[in-house]
Amino acid sequence: MVFLKRRPPRETKRPSREAKRPSRAQTANRTKAEAPRAPVESSVRRLWLVGILFSILFVALWYRAFELQVIMGEDLAAKATRQHTAKETLVGVRGSILDRNGNYLARSVDSSSIWANPQLVQDKATTVAVLSKILEVEPGRVEKLLDPRKRFVWIVRKVNDTVAKQVKEASLPGIGLSPEFERIYPYKTLAGQLLGFVNVDDKGIEGLEKALEETLSASRIRQIIQRDAVGRRLGSTGGDISDLRGDDIRLTIDSQVQFIAEEALAEGVEKYGAKWGGCLVVDVPTGDILAWAQYPFFDPNKPGDFTEAVRKNRLATDALEQGSTIKSFLIASALEEKVVTPTTEIFCENGKWKFGSYTIHDTHSYGALLVSKILHVSSNIGVAKIGFKLGAERYYNYLRRLGFGQVTDLPLAGQSRGILRPASKWHEIDTATASFGQSFSATLAQMAQAYLYLANDGVDKKLRLVINDPASQNQEDGSTDGKPVAEKGKDAERIFSPETMRQVRAMLREVVEEEGGTGKAARIPGIIVGGKTGTAQKADRSGKYGSGRVGSFVGMLPINQPRYLVCVLMDEPTKNQYGGIIAAPVFRDVALRTMAYHGLLPDSDDPLVKAVAEKEQQRRKKAFGKNEAAKTPGAENATAQAETDLQTAAGPVSVEQKPQRRVMRRVVSSKPSATVPDVIGLGVSKAAEVFSAQGVVPEFQGKGGFVVRQTPTPGSPWPENKQGCVLWLEDTSI
Amino acid sequence: MAESPTGNQRLGQPDWWLLAITLLLVATGLLMVFSASGIVADRSQADAYYYFKRQVLFACVGGIALAVVLYTPRAVIYKMLYPALIIVFCLLIITISPLGISVNGAKRWLGVGAFRLQAMEFAKISLVLYLAYFMGTKQEVVKTFDKGVIPPFLMTAMMCFLLLLQPDFGGAVILSLLLFFMCLVGGTRLIYLFISALLAGGAGYLLITKAAYRSRRLLAFRDPFAVADDAGYQLVQGLYALGSGGISGVGLGASKQKLFYLPEAHTDFIVAVLGEETGFIGLSLLFAGILFFFWRGLLIAIRQERLQDRFTAFGILLVVALSMLLNFAVVMSWAPPKGVPMPFLSYGGSSLLTSMICVGLLLNLSRTGKA
Repeated sequence: MVFLKRRPPRETKRPSREAKRPSRAQTANRTKAEAPRAPVESSVRRLWLVGILFSILFVALWYRAFELQVIMGEDLAAKATRQHTAKETLVGVRGSILDRNGNYLARSVDSSSIWANPQLVQDKATTVAVLSKILEVEPGRVEKLLDPRKRFVWIVRKVNDTVAKQVKEASLPGIGLSPEFERIYPYKTLAGQLLGFVNVDDKGIEGLEKALEETLSASRIRQIIQRDAVGRRLGSTGGDISDLRGDDIRLTIDSQVQFIAEEALAEGVEKYGAKWGGCLVVDVPTGDILAWAQYPFFDPNKPGDFTEAVRKNRLATDALEQGSTIKSFLIASALEEKVVTPTTEIFCENGKWKFGSYTIHDTHSYGALLVSKILHVSSNIGVAKIGFKLGAERYYNYLRRLGFGQVTDLPLAGQSRGILRPASKWHEIDTATASFGQSFSATLAQMAQAYLYLANDGVDKKLRLVINDPASQNQEDGSTDGKPVAEKGKDAERIFSPETMRQVRAMLREVVEEEGGTGKAARIPGIIVGGKTGTAQKADRSGKYGSGRVGSFVGMLPINQPRYLVCVLMDEPTKNQYGGIIAAPVFRDVALRTMAYHGLLPDSDDPLVKAVAEKEQQRRKKAFGKNEAAKTPGAENATAQAETDLQTAAGPVSVEQKPQRRVMRRVVSSKPSATVPDVIGLGVSKAAEVFSAQGVVPEFQGKGGFVVRQTPTPGSPWPENKQGCVLWLEDTSI
Repeated sequence: MAESPTGNQRLGQPDWWLLAITLLLVATGLLMVFSASGIVADRSQADAYYYFKRQVLFACVGGIALAVVLYTPRAVIYKMLYPALIIVFCLLIITISPLGISVNGAKRWLGVGAFRLQAMEFAKISLVLYLAYFMGTKQEVVKTFDKGVIPPFLMTAMMCFLLLLQPDFGGAVILSLLLFFMCLVGGTRLIYLFISALLAGGAGYLLITKAAYRSRRLLAFRDPFAVADDAGYQLVQGLYALGSGGISGVGLGASKQKLFYLPEAHTDFIVAVLGEETGFIGLSLLFAGILFFFWRGLLIAIRQERLQDRFTAFGILLVVALSMLLNFAVVMSWAPPKGVPMPFLSYGGSSLLTSMICVGLLLNLSRTGKA
């Protein structure tokens, strides 16, 4: 030890033995001024003793440091590293679903979820009280969640901006917020069943959300991050989650047409007390599905509020015997096979035809009818006889080529193939019943596909629902108007000749336009419409036909060169059962308004047509705000006032609204404003709502839950075409 | 060999080596306080330099106190013994009165403006001054029981009692240890010491086991990993820090454990951060420095001719050295955590100021004595 050489000289250190224990007398003898030698000496010895003792302790502790740092160092360091690092999963944003005009039908927005580490909660009573007040839940529920044995529990997933802010500001120890994404469907019930919904983990579990999961779903990466004891990450953020974004899907759906179809359908279903109804609107030249409506409505924002029966996408999943609407295909097949011509005469047995042990009825009795008239009056006996002439085998082949008995090419989950047994398994009677649409079943989507061939001159044209699906091969450039999508080689494949199609469409025209036709309720002044009614008997569970009916109408217009195909179906109507009465008016309403919306209505003196035309034109201007209104400057301000009801009816989510099953959705009403509304300080979703109520899609800058700045400044007039509105977001509570 | 019992000894140079090692330790302390507290300070005070700045201020005040004590005539210092004792008792009583500041259920602090005073630190100095005076001037009665044992034990017991009321169990233990070593060196009969040590040990055992919170916390050090989430948390985090340091350390400022994992990183557990950032090498240098400090202090005591001087030097050295030993032992999980700071290194005004005063006293004493 280096210090020893500084030791005092030896002789001073050695205390004399006899001095060690001085007697009282000795001590007393000494004068006070004279320092007692003996204690001085002995204390020096003890000082050395204590010095050595302390030195030994220091060296022992030094060894302990060696043990901890060198011998156990690696082990302890590994344990420390384990707590310094955490596995983190980065998840990107799920892709949006847009309609053909770029309106968001489904999108993911920033949201916060509240979690707790119960072990870090300091004052449980206060924590429970504060949380339950902010979240508006029973204190008991929160208390139950804060199980002190756990290190992580979700308190509530995906809360709104205001709640998140309050929780953050309460800054309770052990309570944290993590960013998540919430799936919102801004138009609420619009196309609800088609869109489907996602679960709390952002996984699509119904509808398009499920079917297009691969495209829409965001990527996720796992990475090891360094963190401090309060869980904050250290250093630069590991990954850019914008790379992880799921792909957007643009649908062929036009939300305005969708709204028209839904509104008309809802009215019809309610009026005739049907169990449910469906309506499809197809743009014939492109095969684009413009509307995919189903009533009762389903709001994917709140899937839990609806039963499975309402949630399911029946237009694709429910196969029904379609009835007389099938007759068009039988006649087309027979004409194509030249089994009959339009002028062939068929004897219709005066309304009652005994066939083996079966009897086939017509609603009216007819004698001899021309083939062209059979569709007109929808004679079952007539088509049955033609069916026998054609033969089961040939008829079956046409049905297959038309798409029956197989799922459509549409990217939908849980599609039904329908039931179409091979011709070899048909009994004789099946040929007859299949001719008028019984004994085999099809979905409304299959019906639309089959009729699309008829409307398209027999060309094999597929329905289209997705304009761009980056995940699949058939990516198309998304031409949205009129002209058919690129002529491909296989387009040349025909099912029917144009001549046959012309003949069938002429018959369909008669169904609507000629006296005595079943579909005269579908007439639209100024436009020649063609279509076919259907009233099918429904088989009950045991397979016997009961009183249940399916009323339907499939129509196209203008019939000479169809632009739109509209299919309407109502299941189990209670007030009336005939497709011509219950479904044809829905068709008429939808078709008329769709034509008007697209500006395709001819000038007409008919007051109804005029009113509809005007109304829908305004809707169109609004829908295409930036594009169309630009062509007629000045017009938008005047018209904006007039037609807000429709616009806002289809408007985005309003928080207060309850899910509705009532017919009309004219609920949200925010007054149109001539100036830019003030949304500073509002939550992002509320701000977006305010703007969309004005028909404006604002652009968002930055990240966060609250609007901190906006251009143009609130109160100033709208910029030209209401474009260029920018809202800056920030997480103001930080 | 100038032996002048009246006190007007020839004054030599103070022990510059002791001063040098002290300043080195203080400088190391400032560096480590800055490193260990920066993030906590940034978080809690919105100023990363908050604790560092305050520690610099304490160091300056401590330096002035050191100089004042160094150059104050020894007779004056010794005369201040009784006033100092009275002041310390007053402070201890005020501390447990409603005027004291309660932290984690214990009242150990006195508020003085923006600063807090820990009376315990000053109690240690005044106690050893008293004991040194007693042992140094009453050698003729030291070996007796009634006159030699009762007074110092009574004085210590009164202070311990006030500390236990705070409650500051660790402080009472430290005062008892000071008494023990002072008596050991001062010449109290070993049989008395042995018996009193037994009694103190028994009382301590009762105190520990009587209060569940105390026993849980105090016994956690025997296997901190078994209760790592709870009573052993701080110890475990300290061990993680030391282990992470390894031989050469993770580098100055790079400690991860100080990022809110390790409680009291800049105060009682600053040695753990030092060990993490500078490794076994850095810790060894610290040990060497502290041993050097200890032996310089001990030599000063040994060289004193007058018993009171010698015992004063020893007692003052004991105040610092006991803290050092206990702090090391706690950080390395050899002793229960009891809130003992590392002199010169840990953040804290009371600790740094009293440590500097101790060094001032030692330097003052170093000017006398044999060469």
